[in-house]
Amino acid sequence: MQLVARSISKHYGDREVVRGIDLGLSPGQVLGLLGPNGAGKSTTVGMLYGMVIPSRGAVHLGPWNVQTQGRQARHHMGIVTQDDNLDPDFDVLENLIYFARHYRLTGLTARRRAAEVLEQVGLTGREKSRIEELSGGLKRRLVLARALLNQPRMVFLDEPTTGLDPDARQDFWKLVSQLRAAGCGILLTTHYMDEAERLCDHLLLLQQGKVVDQGTPLELIERTVGHEVVEVEGVATEWLKDLAARAGVWSRPFSSGYLLVLPAAQPQALLAQIEQEQPSRLSRRRANLEDVFLKLTGTSL
Amino acid sequence: MQVAKVLRGWSVSPWGVYSVWRRHARVYQNTWLVNFLPPVLEPVIYLISFGYGFTPMVGELTYRGQTVTYLVFIGPAMIGLGLLFQAFFEGAYGCFLRLNFQRTWHGLLTAPLSFSEVFLGEWLWAATRGTIAGLLIGIVIVGIGLYPWYALVVSLPLIFLGGLLFGGMGLLAAGIVQTIDQINVPVFLLIVPMFTLCGTYFPIDNLPPLLRSLATVLPLSPMVSLLRWPLGLPPSWPLQLVWLVGLMMLMGYLAWRQIHRKLFG
Repeated sequence: MQLVARSISKHYGDREVVRGIDLGLSPGQVLGLLGPNGAGKSTTVGMLYGMVIPSRGAVHLGPWNVQTQGRQARHHMGIVTQDDNLDPDFDVLENLIYFARHYRLTGLTARRRAAEVLEQVGLTGREKSRIEELSGGLKRRLVLARALLNQPRMVFLDEPTTGLDPDARQDFWKLVSQLRAAGCGILLTTHYMDEAERLCDHLLLLQQGKVVDQGTPLELIERTVGHEVVEVEGVATEWLKDLAARAGVWSRPFSSGYLLVLPAAQPQALLAQIEQEQPSRLSRRRANLEDVFLKLTGTSL
Repeated sequence: MQVAKVLRGWSVSPWGVYSVWRRHARVYQNTWLVNFLPPVLEPVIYLISFGYGFTPMVGELTYRGQTVTYLVFIGPAMIGLGLLFQAFFEGAYGCFLRLNFQRTWHGLLTAPLSFSEVFLGEWLWAATRGTIAGLLIGIVIVGIGLYPWYALVVSLPLIFLGGLLFGGMGLLAAGIVQTIDQINVPVFLLIVPMFTLCGTYFPIDNLPPLLRSLATVLPLSPMVSLLRWPLGLPPSWPLQLVWLVGLMMLMGYLAWRQIHRKLFG
């Protein structure tokens, strides 16, 4: 079962939020939508599961058109929205049991399944907790548990780790990896580069509602930036710009310093030249998706 | 068969509607004491205060050619009032909270439920709350001998129709307003005039012609008039019933359209 979107667009009045995005997602694959705030990530995800009606284009999950047969399509989807819409009037277990009913899971079957998903996300023992007693990380896990009730084939995670502490993020990543290993197709939106790099098999980089580039994280980094970069502080910008131009590498201001790509051939030579200028800080590191974004869009995330 | 086909066309399954309704009912059950008391107490307080306060002044009055005590006159109207308040407020405030604050709708729409199923579950729930209130008040007024018990049983479909109508009005309000305070507008423009003018505390024939025409059109008037059927029905009762059913369908459609617009643009 594949999720396929064909040139989906969305405009609100004159404002075009998403402009002709094509994508495909297969079981066992993690597809990432990466982009700054306002790039159209959530609108795109909304169109993929049926909460947002596309102005143009269509989305299919297997044989179903998500817009006209949303009910059938969502039977096989698990959706973690960006905001917590858990039921504050219910405890943890009731949240699951009353949601299971929408999938026609009732009685003992619903209880058994609720216990399974609670164990899967590590919330066993918290059945009777009120929602307001849960930390942000636990709430996210419960939303994920709710999304997994019907053993979905496609899981949508819309900025699932925003606002979580590092520990909670690590835990969430582990869950995502387990789902992929179990054969789920996963669509993940994030503006955390490390998250995208670590989890995604394929990435779409979004800017102003358009896909500006796509590929595996490594491909994107190697193709767009290169292998290594150096961050320099305390050296005249003009001099560094000249140096980059002479070496034929990409460079730009970065944070309080300057960023240069190290050439694949003889990176040491360039480094030595910079070192002679006695920079206050010089840090050599692997290129990452943040650099890709800087290069492609001219903006940092 | 035909109904099932139409429902499928709208992407509505009875199960989907039921499971949404069940969710709302369960929340209500969790706080049943808080939820049960106000709908019964409010009209009972009106009944006691207006009953004791006005009976010495009014004593008896003539309604549809019969002489009845003031309490027997206002008794059935209390069913209408309880119904109006509970169904409208559940539709308006309850739905607004679930749409805008708790975002329950957004959560439900991640499940295999269509918009129409979530809407119908919500509408049925508002109607159910109205019906529960109407029934409880009905039991109280039957208990104190102001309404025959069989009349309450026969009136149940009418009470449910009122629940759908006033619940639909509430849902429409929830779909239109942008902030929760704005719900005060329909409350003061519609609910309060209905509460006072629609033959609840006095026959609408007492009103001057212009006000009487207005009161006749407002849906609580035909509702109360029909609920008083054991005291006699006006000749226009079939028309009143058609008006209530028509208005209920119109409110339902407008609320469906308005909330759809709010969610999907």
